[in-house]
Amino acid sequence: METILNTNVEIKVGFKLNGLLYEKSIPANWTLLQLLRDGLGYYGTKCGCEIGECGACTVLLNGQAINSCLVLAPQIEGAEIWTIEGVADSINSLHPVQRIFIEYDAVHCGFCTPGMIMSTIALLLENSSPDENTIKTALAGNLCRCTGYVQIIEAVKKLSGIITEKDLEKFRYSE
Amino acid sequence: MTMIRVTAYENPKSIEEATTFLAKDTYVPIAGGTDVILELRNGMPVKLLDINNLKLNHVTSNKDNIEIGAACTHTQLASNPIVSQFVPLVGIAAGKVGSKQIRNRGTIGGNIVNASPCADTIPALLIYDAELVLLSKKGRRIARLDEFITSPYATIKRNDELLHSIICKKNNKTGYSYLKLGRRQAVNISRMTISVALDIDDDNAVIDACISAGSVFPVPSRMKDLEKFLRGEKIKPKLFKEAGKLAVDLMIKHSGYRWSTPYKEPVLAGLIERALMQASKGIVQDN
Ligand SMILES: Cc1cc2nc3c(=O)[nH]c(=O)nc-3n(C[C@H](O)[C@H](O)[C@H](O)COP(=O)(O)OP(=O)(O)OC[C@H]3O[C@@H](n4cnc5c(N)ncnc54)[C@H](O)[C@@H]3O)c2cc1C
Ligand code: FES
Ligand code: FES
Repeated sequence: METILNTNVEIKVGFKLNGLLYEKSIPANWTLLQLLRDGLGYYGTKCGCEIGECGACTVLLNGQAINSCLVLAPQIEGAEIWTIEGVADSINSLHPVQRIFIEYDAVHCGFCTPGMIMSTIALLLENSSPDENTIKTALAGNLCRCTGYVQIIEAVKKLSGIITEKDLEKFRYSE
Repeated sequence: MTMIRVTAYENPKSIEEATTFLAKDTYVPIAGGTDVILELRNGMPVKLLDINNLKLNHVTSNKDNIEIGAACTHTQLASNPIVSQFVPLVGIAAGKVGSKQIRNRGTIGGNIVNASPCADTIPALLIYDAELVLLSKKGRRIARLDEFITSPYATIKRNDELLHSIICKKNNKTGYSYLKLGRRQAVNISRMTISVALDIDDDNAVIDACISAGSVFPVPSRMKDLEKFLRGEKIKPKLFKEAGKLAVDLMIKHSGYRWSTPYKEPVLAGLIERALMQASKGIVQDN
């Protein structure tokens, strides 16, 4: 039994997280979610279901929204990752997506919020003025137990008028 | 949280390298990981072979066929112009898998090899008589998709084989419909899917019908008896109602009478009727 428990290999991976380069040796059995939270201390990305259903763990991987609970850490070799910690440029200047979420009362308990914001940014990268159906499709993998979604959808609709390329460019992935 | 155990992780850069690993030892290929990571949580120690760097995400077209690389993601297929022109049901099905996050990671190859009764892309691929290109150190072989899955979650793929690509026959029809019924619009594993491609002549008679179903039979299947019943018939509402009834008979014949049958009976009949109606009007349905 003990021998099986200690057989996880470590893999060296290089990746970019919130604009910073990392080179780390990581247990190959870790998910990206574990790496972010337990390995690097970024607790903004939430752990809900760990089966891809709730979206609380959503981060950007090479410009796309993904569930970090369903990516193994070794799979991020060479990748570019953005989490909620990297969204605002500084503590004093919230990103427009964050500001509008607060303004529209789209944050209640806040557990779904980091995931919602990352999915919203991924959507805006693809389409900076999405209609309601497109918004619902983009956020369908993010569950919220508090708001009833109306405020969130209204917030994203509002963003389509005010978001600029400058607000989005750092998240854009180019190979 | 259950512990995942990974005793080896290989990230080959070429197919040659990948098939060499597969010939040497028992590796579990990992593509998007959206099925395999859930399975790993049972704690079984595994050796993983990442297949994401083998350049298997191509979509190409020649005179008769479309070739889709096994590592194409659902997101990629849902917006690919070759797919939407020549194998539209595949693009629609891919666009209905899980959530945006799942579609961004999940691949068509993983969907096929996982061989779930409710894999969304398989019934769509069956409409285009899809064949699978399997590679190993022993060479290349082609398997028909309708013979690939032997029972839920089991296939004829050997452990030393890699799914390279999927070959679909172009079949231009006058109308299509793909209906997916689930408990929730988004993150739902299908309760039932129906794919229909119809070819109708100027006199409103059915020249050809291709119909497949997911989560109706133990493995996703074409409904050949139903297709035969429709061929040559004049389009009228009563015909589609009868087709719905016949589909129910086929389900009971092949899957037996199960606890879910009383629910599935009217649902299947209704979906078949609606899908045929839409396809007869030329609509590519996106419900
Ligand atoms: C929340 C959630 C919702 C989902 N919703 C849906 C849904 O609506 N519809 C649906 O159909 N599915 C759904 N799925 C299932 C899953 O996302 C799909 O089946 C997906 O296509 C699997 O692809 P993958 O690349 O992630 O496969 P992986 O998990 O990487 O692999 C799956 C299997 O295929 C094998 N494999 C993968 N690629 C190859 C290859 N090239 N050669 C040989 N073997 C290979 C792996 O070894 C493994 O056995 C859902 C999953 C989750 C977690
Ligand atoms: S924790 Fe990843 S989707 Fe729920
Ligand atoms: S604000 Fe509480 S879960 Fe969304």
